[in-house]
Amino acid sequence: MATVNIQNIQKNYGAVKVIHGIDIDIADGEFVALVGPSGCGKSTLLRMIAGLEEVTGGAIRIGPREVSHLPARDRDIAMVFQNYALYPHMTVADNMGFALKLKKADPAEIRTKVQRAAGILGLEKLLDRYPRQLSGGQRQRVAMGRAIVRDPQVFLFDEPLSNLDAKLRVQMRGEIKTMHQRIGTTTIYVTHDQVEAMTMADKIVVLHDGHIEQIGAPLELYDRPSNLFVAGFIGSPAMNFIDGRIEEGAFRTKKGLILPLPQGVAAAGGRDLVYGVRPEHIRAATHGIEGRATLVEGTGSEIYAKLDARGEEIACLFRERLDVRFGDTVSIDIDPARIHLFDKQTGLRL
Amino acid sequence: MASVSIDNPIDETTERRSKPARLAPNYWPFVMPALLVVSAVIVFPWLFTLWMSVNSWTLGQPRTFIGFANYLRLAQDMRFWESLWHTTTYTVLSVVLPLFFGTLAALVFDAKFPLRGFLRGIFVMPMMATPVAVALVWTMMFHPQLGVLNYLLSLVGIGPQEWIYNQTAVIPSLVLVETWQWTPLVMLIVLGGLAAVPREPYESAEIDGATAWQKFRYLTVPMIAPFLMIAVIIRSIDAIKSFDIIYAMTQGGPGTASETINIYLYNTAFAYYDIGYGSAMAVVFFLIIIALSFVLLMVRARANWSDMEER
Amino acid sequence: MTRPLITHRTLDRIGLLFVALVMISPVILFFLWMISLSLKYEIDNGAYPPIIIPENIAWSNYVKVFEENNFLLYFWNSVLVTGTATLLALVIGVPAGFGIARLKAEKSAVVIMIARMTPGLSFLIPLFLLFQWTNLIGTLWPQIIIHLVVTVPIVVWIMIGYFETTPKELEEAASIDGATTWQVFRLVALPIAKPGIVVSFILALIFSWNNFVFGIVLANRETRTLPVAVYNMLSFEQVSWGPLAAAALIVTLPVLLLTMFAQKQIVAGLTAGAVKGG
Ligand SMILES: Nc1ncnc2c1ncn2[C@@H]1O[C@H](COP(=O)(O)OP(=O)(O)OP(=O)(O)O)[C@@H](O)[C@H]1O
Ligand SMILES: [Mg+2]
Repeated sequence: MATVNIQNIQKNYGAVKVIHGIDIDIADGEFVALVGPSGCGKSTLLRMIAGLEEVTGGAIRIGPREVSHLPARDRDIAMVFQNYALYPHMTVADNMGFALKLKKADPAEIRTKVQRAAGILGLEKLLDRYPRQLSGGQRQRVAMGRAIVRDPQVFLFDEPLSNLDAKLRVQMRGEIKTMHQRIGTTTIYVTHDQVEAMTMADKIVVLHDGHIEQIGAPLELYDRPSNLFVAGFIGSPAMNFIDGRIEEGAFRTKKGLILPLPQGVAAAGGRDLVYGVRPEHIRAATHGIEGRATLVEGTGSEIYAKLDARGEEIACLFRERLDVRFGDTVSIDIDPARIHLFDKQTGLRL
Repeated sequence: MASVSIDNPIDETTERRSKPARLAPNYWPFVMPALLVVSAVIVFPWLFTLWMSVNSWTLGQPRTFIGFANYLRLAQDMRFWESLWHTTTYTVLSVVLPLFFGTLAALVFDAKFPLRGFLRGIFVMPMMATPVAVALVWTMMFHPQLGVLNYLLSLVGIGPQEWIYNQTAVIPSLVLVETWQWTPLVMLIVLGGLAAVPREPYESAEIDGATAWQKFRYLTVPMIAPFLMIAVIIRSIDAIKSFDIIYAMTQGGPGTASETINIYLYNTAFAYYDIGYGSAMAVVFFLIIIALSFVLLMVRARANWSDMEER
Repeated sequence: MTRPLITHRTLDRIGLLFVALVMISPVILFFLWMISLSLKYEIDNGAYPPIIIPENIAWSNYVKVFEENNFLLYFWNSVLVTGTATLLALVIGVPAGFGIARLKAEKSAVVIMIARMTPGLSFLIPLFLLFQWTNLIGTLWPQIIIHLVVTVPIVVWIMIGYFETTPKELEEAASIDGATTWQVFRLVALPIAKPGIVVSFILALIFSWNNFVFGIVLANRETRTLPVAVYNMLSFEQVSWGPLAAAALIVTLPVLLLTMFAQKQIVAGLTAGAVKGG
């Protein structure tokens, strides 16, 4: 186990800059998720840490060692690939023991280590099978087993769950988390699924176009997104963004809708702002802001509705059972303590 | 596909890497042995041939440098020009006929019917059979008095032919053997093309009311065109170099009626041991092949099919 | 469309089967006639109209081939030349295919492409002289070496195709697992490419076995391979067709059997690589 320290890492493909100088500090035993939209450079960053991709600039340290230019095999890391990359010509046991065999470990020792990892992952009965004889979830587990057996300093995961169906994904999510709690190896986990990141990670790094938008604990990102991008990316359904200005102690949209503000933000008057509020922080009220429902979707546990309030679209998530139908007028109440204000120009949080 | 995908200009610009990465595994040691062997049996002989071609040298006699005299001699050598003509007719026929029959066969074998795999296996056998053995049996079949071919012709009322024993019939007869042997290769290439053809256009054409012929003409032909072109390229290069069948059956005869460049080259170098002149001929022959390949590859690049056979 | 679909289709299929049979008839006729010739005495072979199945089967033709022509030696020569040239080609060609596929080095593939375009005879002049000067002509080595011109390109082409389709992630996983580049090749890439190796082995074997032009220049009485030996019979024994056809059959039989048994691999390899030796 080790810390991972990434300093001003850059990556160019020819003239194209893909990573623009990134710094991340990862503590020993921490579970870090790298999230961001497709093409933002998550895989590239992970592959640079793994040693599969040369860095254009900057330094990577694992523990005290600078590894930026070491080949992958000397970095003492393990990686789980999106499509698992199991060796098709080896049994599950051989797949898991391959790294140790390369290190010329004693066969008996390999066997015990493989057995132990198989025990953790519930693979004892499958050790003699070949990858093609396994289900998707089982393959996923073998890929993790291969990483565990290594007992490396760092685990790297590149979207390991994206080939699984929704139910299995939730289950494996839990298993990976449990495994991490049990063995405590420093983990870097790439995903574009923010729910995965929120539920599993100690710390989330939000990447966008090769830049870091924000680093923080999941709740920190949720509660205090430092810019519009993070605010829009984290949280599902996505946060409402409404343009307007602060006038006379209240937030007034261009179309004249008045929205509540917390105490002490009046100072931000005089410039274009974006008012952010999460759908789940809006409650139905007997009177308040009125809007006409333009979309109503109920799942039983909650109701997702879009309201048209004076021409502004506001998405709401109601936990209580309301009898709302398309076209109904609904009154809502916004908790001023849970709203977010951003500078429209810079996108930064006020 | 592999053997003719060397000229894709798009690949070259997009695939270019910034600089050799230090981390990237070094693959050159894997390539070196083969590169060494291939250069040893290709590059060395070529340098040597070039050098020989500007010398006058018959084995057992002293060698003298004569500059381009061998090439001038070649330009005035009627027998060479004749062999060039023989090569041309032989090559053209040996491309066109297998192309026609091979495409036909591919269309048949692309459909589903009983015993398809087994019959296809038999159909492929001629191209795998040893050419000399094939040539030998055809020679017996071509025999004017005792050959089975003339007997078969007599069954349908055609008089006996002289086949390879006749000055004018010899090249068509040899082409017959060549076609018999290499039609399967064209079939396999086109079959590969047909396998890559997507189903959806056919379904939408069917909905649009296309007839079978229209579907073939406007869908199948354009879609397999790149593969036909590959077949043409491979067949041309093979046919122009054809040696085994011609040599085993006629040695270029009767007289010199079936002497192609390759046969004349063989006779010059290994029957008369005129190494210098033979080398000049080898150089010119190679240039002809390069020119032919170049023209064919240009035609192929022009046609702008490259995106298709990348699949 | 008005008819029931089943019968419509069945008719189509029978029609296609019939067309296919017509198409392969020249192949079947040829090989049947070859067998027939090899099993007939001279009288039957000279008969007009031709006899297909003779009353007396002349097995003696085959005995004659082996007795009178040193065929066992030539058979053994062929085995040695083809076997060695094919194995050597695998040893150097499989890693080369791997390297070229991973380097995306189309440039070095061009060298091999040129090897395929060059007429065999043009290698032969200088190499023939070289082998004479080095006194190798009395041995099989000249032929083994020059057969590499046939076998190496086949192996390299097919292996490039195979390694290009094997997922690169497996190799990355192996290098993360601590494998050196050689171990990645040896323990991961190679086992996965086994089907490709089989295909290239078979095709290299066949085209090397069939090769004629190299032998006719480089072989002497002791070092002839089978195709050359058969050709020589043709020039000396114009008249006796039976043994001649028997010899032809003996030469090509191993190849035909291989084609029969490994049909799937051969078709796959030829379709993908569209290769041919020479
Ligand atoms: N070999 C390459 N050459 C050029 N550009 C590349 C190369 N590999 C990746 N890129 C570019 O780098 C950017 C980042 O790619 P990367 O694979 O890291 O994205 P990602 O965040 O993992 O996306 P996804 O969620 O879709 O996997 C992309 O814009 C991609 O086009
Ligand atoms: Mg990715």
